[in-house]
Amino acid sequence: MKSVSSNTIRSKKNESVPITGIRKIHDSQIISSDYSAYLVDESKLEGTAEWLFFPKTEAEIISIITFLREKKIPAYISAARTGIVGSSVPKRGSIISIEKMDRMLGFGVDQNNGKYFCRFEPGITLKAINDKISKKEFEKVKELTPNAISRFMEENQSYYYPMDPTEMSASISGTVATNASGAGTFKYGATRKWVKKIRVALANGEILDIPRGKYFASNNRIFIVKQTDGTDLIVKIPSYEFNTNVKNAAGIYSKPNMDIIDLFIGSEGVFGVITEVDVWIMEKNPLISNVLFFNSEDDALDFVEKIRTDNTVSPEFIEYFSGESLDLLRNVQSKNPVLLNMPQIPSKARSAIFFDLPYSEDILISSMEKIDKIAKECKTTLETSWSGYENREFARFKHFRHALPETVNSIIAERKRQYPELHKLGTDMCVPDEKLGEMMQYYHSVLRQAALEYVIFGHIGDNHVHLNILPKNTEELELGQKIYEKFAKKAVEYGGSVSAEHGIGKIKLEFLKFMYAEKEIEQMRAVKKALDPSLLFNCGNIFEFKEV
Amino acid sequence: MKIVVTIKQVPEADKVAVNSETGTLIREGVESILNPFCEYALDMAVKIKGDNPDINVEIIAISMGPPQAKMALMRCLELGADKAFLLSDRAFAGSDVWATSLTLKEGIRKIVPNFDLVLCGKQAIDGDTAQVPAELAENLGIPQIFYGIDVNVEKKKIRVKKETDNGFQIIETRFPALITISKGPNNIRRLPSMKNIIEARKKPLEVFTADKLDIEEEKLGLNGSYTQVINIFAPPTKEAGRIIDGGDPDKAAEQMIEFLRKKKLIKFEVE
Amino acid sequence: MLEINEENCTGCKICEKVCPFGAIIVDPKDKKAKVLDACTLCGACVNACRFDAITIKRKKATKEELEKFSGIMIWGELEKDKNENLQIKNVVFELLGKAQELNKTLKETISVVILGPPGKIPPIDVLYHYGADNVYLCEHELLETYSTDGFTTAITTLIIREKPSIFFYGATVNGRDLAPRIAARIATGLTADCTAFDIDEEKQLVQTRPAFGGNIMASIISPFTRPQMATARPNNFQKPIKDPTRKGNLKKFEVTIEKQSIRTKIIEETITKVDKIKIEESEILVSVGRGIGTKENLEIVQELAREIRGIMSSSRALVELGWTSHPIQVGQSGKTVSPKLYIALGISGKIQHLVGMKSSDIIIAINTDPEAPIFNVADFGIVGDIFEIIPQFLKLLRSERRKTIT
Repeated sequence: MKSVSSNTIRSKKNESVPITGIRKIHDSQIISSDYSAYLVDESKLEGTAEWLFFPKTEAEIISIITFLREKKIPAYISAARTGIVGSSVPKRGSIISIEKMDRMLGFGVDQNNGKYFCRFEPGITLKAINDKISKKEFEKVKELTPNAISRFMEENQSYYYPMDPTEMSASISGTVATNASGAGTFKYGATRKWVKKIRVALANGEILDIPRGKYFASNNRIFIVKQTDGTDLIVKIPSYEFNTNVKNAAGIYSKPNMDIIDLFIGSEGVFGVITEVDVWIMEKNPLISNVLFFNSEDDALDFVEKIRTDNTVSPEFIEYFSGESLDLLRNVQSKNPVLLNMPQIPSKARSAIFFDLPYSEDILISSMEKIDKIAKECKTTLETSWSGYENREFARFKHFRHALPETVNSIIAERKRQYPELHKLGTDMCVPDEKLGEMMQYYHSVLRQAALEYVIFGHIGDNHVHLNILPKNTEELELGQKIYEKFAKKAVEYGGSVSAEHGIGKIKLEFLKFMYAEKEIEQMRAVKKALDPSLLFNCGNIFEFKEV
Repeated sequence: MKIVVTIKQVPEADKVAVNSETGTLIREGVESILNPFCEYALDMAVKIKGDNPDINVEIIAISMGPPQAKMALMRCLELGADKAFLLSDRAFAGSDVWATSLTLKEGIRKIVPNFDLVLCGKQAIDGDTAQVPAELAENLGIPQIFYGIDVNVEKKKIRVKKETDNGFQIIETRFPALITISKGPNNIRRLPSMKNIIEARKKPLEVFTADKLDIEEEKLGLNGSYTQVINIFAPPTKEAGRIIDGGDPDKAAEQMIEFLRKKKLIKFEVE
Repeated sequence: MLEINEENCTGCKICEKVCPFGAIIVDPKDKKAKVLDACTLCGACVNACRFDAITIKRKKATKEELEKFSGIMIWGELEKDKNENLQIKNVVFELLGKAQELNKTLKETISVVILGPPGKIPPIDVLYHYGADNVYLCEHELLETYSTDGFTTAITTLIIREKPSIFFYGATVNGRDLAPRIAARIATGLTADCTAFDIDEEKQLVQTRPAFGGNIMASIISPFTRPQMATARPNNFQKPIKDPTRKGNLKKFEVTIEKQSIRTKIIEETITKVDKIKIEESEILVSVGRGIGTKENLEIVQELAREIRGIMSSSRALVELGWTSHPIQVGQSGKTVSPKLYIALGISGKIQHLVGMKSSDIIIAINTDPEAPIFNVADFGIVGDIFEIIPQFLKLLRSERRKTIT
């Protein structure tokens, strides 16, 4: 057999099954009345479709792709639809919902690094993944390396999949397609870091099986897909370098000699359908959850800087609430304390930092006393804090953190009654470490000057906070949108990203243009044209084509 | 004033599932916690302390349990107890209500001989029997008031607001007494601060084994128990009936009326 | 003690999985089960082991000791009716029914113990009609209202004199206060909150009760002490058929109670303004849970209840929010009810709730969540929105009723 260089990957043809046997709905009326949930995601952008498919196997996905390609019907890939930028919203044509493919397929030990890994069908949710791993439910799961499961059953140590975007009902393939992040990304990286292998179904009806560490772009930025009919798809990787200095989910990933698997991770489904995912899992270590209150935002930022640079303190994550956020929650607490289910928020607090630390009785006092010292340097004390290490306390902390965006949503819903066009304006920008203080100051000064209502919260450990503007009327909405653009441009100016975790989808196309020049976006289009010449998949995500 | 709070460590009962085929418990992922009603009792003790700043109130948490019950006591120290004691010994295994109350009584007599008040949770969420407090009170020879939702102390008297079947009672008694708590003084469960966490680990937490208590061996554990569990099984499941989709509320309401009519459960004649 | 037969033990680890306390593990070195300190000798592993490798050694009672005790006694708890007169609580009749059943095997006498103030005792003949052979009556001023000390003294005196083999109490607020106090005073075994009773081959009373919030059932015996005491869930056993011709014996007894021996004093009593009809007595209950959304929406539940001649009851969630009150709470930490019709609106059906209502004759549930556990016990269920279905139901019901006028 002729040997191939590492930038060439063969796509494989599998058996296909007749389209007639696959469950499908073919009627846009029925879809919009009985299956309307498939036309939206959490961005509330509404779409339309004539076809809705429910494949149960990889072979069925191939059949559907072939069918759609031949009939020239655009396809939109749908999983859990928890995205918030419209990535799974169908513009027209068809929806391929992989929700029926939700099993754990295999379990093994990675021979290279000794870690456990799992193989999943694309539609399994993160919650189900963690349930199966913690309960060790391995019925019908194949052992991918000898004795992997029996070895795992003996383990006293708990394991888990550490990616925790807020919505644990997201599907594994969705998180791969968006390179999802969560609080845990601070310590453990984004999804990209945890993906060991994927299988992707391309528009040509063939499968790419891409393990990490095997296929790399050549020095002149090329990789080749050798199709079964002997012809090649030549893919040229963009010449820009994807900003990995910050948390970044904006645009197609590109690096010199990059691993080809990374091209697909975070590509929002524009290159093909993910049909299988292998991810590593890691030890779950006991944690103690804490929230510390500060008298000013500067003190809080000071604290963040100190604990993330001190290598004797190893926080799992660092999250943040601004004074405005605390005020909003104080309001909720005074009206309905049981809803918030937390003790009284200290009245003088203007800022709060949430951080989890490794927990064991042996190190507890010393790690707490270390925090005590740092807290005093930041003009606060451990008395104004809350702490817990039981699962039910973690649930309370999580619930409290989520109460903020939920309260924002309900305030907006209330205001929508009078102004139906209103919606919240949420940012997803981040900057490099050294620019955090300046960016926060910029946010506050611009918004205070505009006299708009807002809250700031989020993954401050990654310099990635969400700013939510709550417009009271249409003028404020328009003003907010202009300000939002200002922020996006500032973030880019500071060397950051316009989208740290949500992605571009269909609603942030303009923001992408702040970060990339037109010719760079053209390079992204070129990759899609090479892999998906008939522009079958998820058109409208990340970039648009003028012809369409 | 010395307030003894007796506590128990329990599994989170509502997360424990039963395998209905084998009738056995599925324990995976179920945490051990301080029994919620015992936490209310501790909260009440802390409230009494707060209500009486000019009296020196000492709160002592005592538990009978296996070694891991230490963490439930630690929780008490984090939430305001001053000292904690664990009565733990292999010999206590198999204790029923009687043996447990006897052991606790000896523990209290030894550790806090001149206690003023014993507070207990109204029941443990695993056993659910709610019997230990009364047997303990009898063994200590002190009066008991159950289902307290508020406790106020005066110089020589204790006033308890008690929940009844159809309302409340205010009941008075004298020190020393035993009170069980069915609802704590706080609407929201408290959370310790990081400072409380540190300080708790500096407070005394001692383990007492059987030899430190004056009980004859035959009164301990299984030997000292008067009741025995002879079987554990899954509760019988009722067969499910007819479940319909309520997407069309008109149709659904119609079907509900038909169902009730057939079963003769509602009257259609105007009265 | 728990003993493991290592020859029989195959190291299959079933015992590890079923132990509620994590107290038995299979030693990885020799693959044999080993018991740990946390063992409470509950016996779950003994049941689960398929290889007879686990046994619990228990002491056997002597026959002579047990034979001195005979007869079933029931505490005839009294309560005030609407007019402030004393009446016998329903649970007493339920227990008489159960006692009659058990007596088919035991063939002993059934007695009811009544304590109360002189001149205010309600008519007791009705107890004979429902199966009592004897009524033991103690009239004393200090027994006018329930007190732990007064009632413990009176009943203990009687038990020591009459030596019943079994003593039942309703697991009411007072029953749960009294029974364990008596049990401790006379050092006898007590099982609380029972939902079933049987007699085994050795004529022991087998007492069955829920534990772990109702997730499991435990069967218990009191082999070495007498009387075998138990408190029983109200509204769980059936009231027996009345036989008005039946007669029995009234046995008055006296006790000495000093005023100062009663150490608790009721200063104040409040009956919360709920329907005077108690939920445990209503034949139709319309029960509401978290799915109702807001306190204001309770109005529609009340409307439905009124329309079908039922009353409103509540899950624990709403009581904790302060939207409804504890006397109408159904569940493990509330009341047990068994009405003819139980309609559950917006109730998910957690086990602690089910335990309080699943013996209702007919259960109807409406919930938007098709996976809600309430549907497992419902005779008729609708997966839908109560705010759409109930108004429609009321509309249809009213129009049906109007039709019957014409």
